[in-house]
Amino acid sequence: MKPMTMRYGRYTTIVVFGLIIAFPLLYLLSGSLMSFQEISQYPPKLLPSELVWQNYADAWEYLTPRTVVNTFIFVISVLVLQLAICLPAGFALAKIPIRGTGFLLAMFVIPIFLPANLTLIPTFIVTLELGLVGSFAGLILPVVGHASLGILLFRQFFATFPGGLIEAARLDGAGWFRTFFSIALPLAKPVIASYSVVTFLTAWNMYIWPLVAAPGPDTRVLTLALAPLAQGDFSNISPAVSFAAAVVAMIPVLLVFVLFQRWFTRGIVGSGLE
Amino acid sequence: MTDTRATQRIVTRSGAGNTPRPAGRRSHRFDLVAAWGMLTPAVVMFFTFVIVPALVGIALSFTEWDFFTPPVFVGIDNYVRLFADPDMWQALGVTIQYVVLGVIPTVLVGFMLAVLINANMPGVPVLRVLYFVPVVLSVAVSAVLWSFMYDPRQGPIAALLRLLGLPPVDFLNSEVLALPSLVLMMIWLALPIVIIFYLAGLQRVPEDIYSAAALDGAGTWRMLWSMTWPNVMPTTLVVVVLQIINFVANSLDVALIMTGGGPLGATRSLSLLAYEQAFSFQDVGYASALSIFQLLLIVGIVALGRILGSRSFR
Repeated sequence: MKPMTMRYGRYTTIVVFGLIIAFPLLYLLSGSLMSFQEISQYPPKLLPSELVWQNYADAWEYLTPRTVVNTFIFVISVLVLQLAICLPAGFALAKIPIRGTGFLLAMFVIPIFLPANLTLIPTFIVTLELGLVGSFAGLILPVVGHASLGILLFRQFFATFPGGLIEAARLDGAGWFRTFFSIALPLAKPVIASYSVVTFLTAWNMYIWPLVAAPGPDTRVLTLALAPLAQGDFSNISPAVSFAAAVVAMIPVLLVFVLFQRWFTRGIVGSGLE
Repeated sequence: MTDTRATQRIVTRSGAGNTPRPAGRRSHRFDLVAAWGMLTPAVVMFFTFVIVPALVGIALSFTEWDFFTPPVFVGIDNYVRLFADPDMWQALGVTIQYVVLGVIPTVLVGFMLAVLINANMPGVPVLRVLYFVPVVLSVAVSAVLWSFMYDPRQGPIAALLRLLGLPPVDFLNSEVLALPSLVLMMIWLALPIVIIFYLAGLQRVPEDIYSAAALDGAGTWRMLWSMTWPNVMPTTLVVVVLQIINFVANSLDVALIMTGGGPLGATRSLSLLAYEQAFSFQDVGYASALSIFQLLLIVGIVALGRILGSRSFR
């Protein structure tokens, strides 16, 4: 009987700790549907007595559809452009025998272990000097340029590639570009999926770079609209509406995460391997 | 696992060569054209937005500049000023607190939770989602949530204190508690990633060491620290480096959104100090010097960790 009780004990522990970790998030969801009186009343309530969907209408109005569209433009552009430059670069570094790949690799590796905020100021200066600050180009391109992780991840993937496949295609007379598009890319789907999920999440959640590069109303992204709600001043907007705004900003990434969890965990682990 | 084995089989069957050697000058030239065709976009982007900024940052740290008028070369003045600046020393102390208070609990708790949910029982894969979800949150979203939780009048934590008969605490405006409060939220945000890493690391720990230990009559707690922990050391090294970087980097976003670096600089890390110098005071030269100084510190710490790490392995 002992293994049975141990098993129940472990289940209970897993559930209890899981609920502790998920509690703030569950509270966010529940609070986003409470009335103003309810969310700030004492003793605190865990569940709304009736669902106040109006909070979401107010939050949507506060965030503005434009901000949501801007965020999608930013994230999807970053993702597509990064894939477009990282995949061929990774393939060339792994498979095409030319001189200088060692040097290039070393150059790409160095910034991978640097906190992004160290390059923040000089990256801003270069973007400013290029006349791109305040535009979508200024918002997107510098993020795309920080492509070390993608290049190295794809290089690593293509390097462990069945060499015979490439060789066969080459002997059949296919050029490097055709080999890349018709053989390498289709086989790279899993690693592309992992990288895409991680990049989507990272770009969606960026705050500092959009704040300095393009804070204007035409290019403003969701994190910039949310930040003022976190500054401790709940007098103008009901905390419940702030919560609803936070949930709205979270839904796309939550969906991506739930749908692609497997790829996400692989991508995370892959990003940490040297 | 099966993937790699399949790959190995294919490789062995097809012979050793990974890439066909260039047959002659003509094909070599094609290699060169193709390779640079594929590399150029990435190299150009990387050069423009990583290499050039890095060099610009180093150069500007020896100047005085306000974004507009031409920069003035001032030699090592910014670095001299840095060592005499009490704000810098405070920010350095704050940065160390972020890292020490943040990384150690994140790694240890993350490890224990990963072992806990690394169970081959029905239903556990679904329950794991509870442990992973905070990973989708941006600092901005979680700041909205946590600054309400910490709110001294309406927040649930204040209510809990009141239930226990304790006086209300203004967490984010307390010089002592603001930083630990931010760090607690950052730990919460960082745990999923650490758990995911350890779950992957635990897959590589051989099962039979446990049965051997169980025969020896070792308790769960002892097995955890004397068997599992040493076996996931490679994962731990990666996780520690990534989390040092995470806490150094995120301290900027978190403090900027939630406390503005206050009260009285209690949550202002080096990166926030540099940010303020650049974007609030237009003192770009000094801000660059602060960034370079921070970079050297991190490189030094990681290198030291490497040396100590490789020594303890021997």
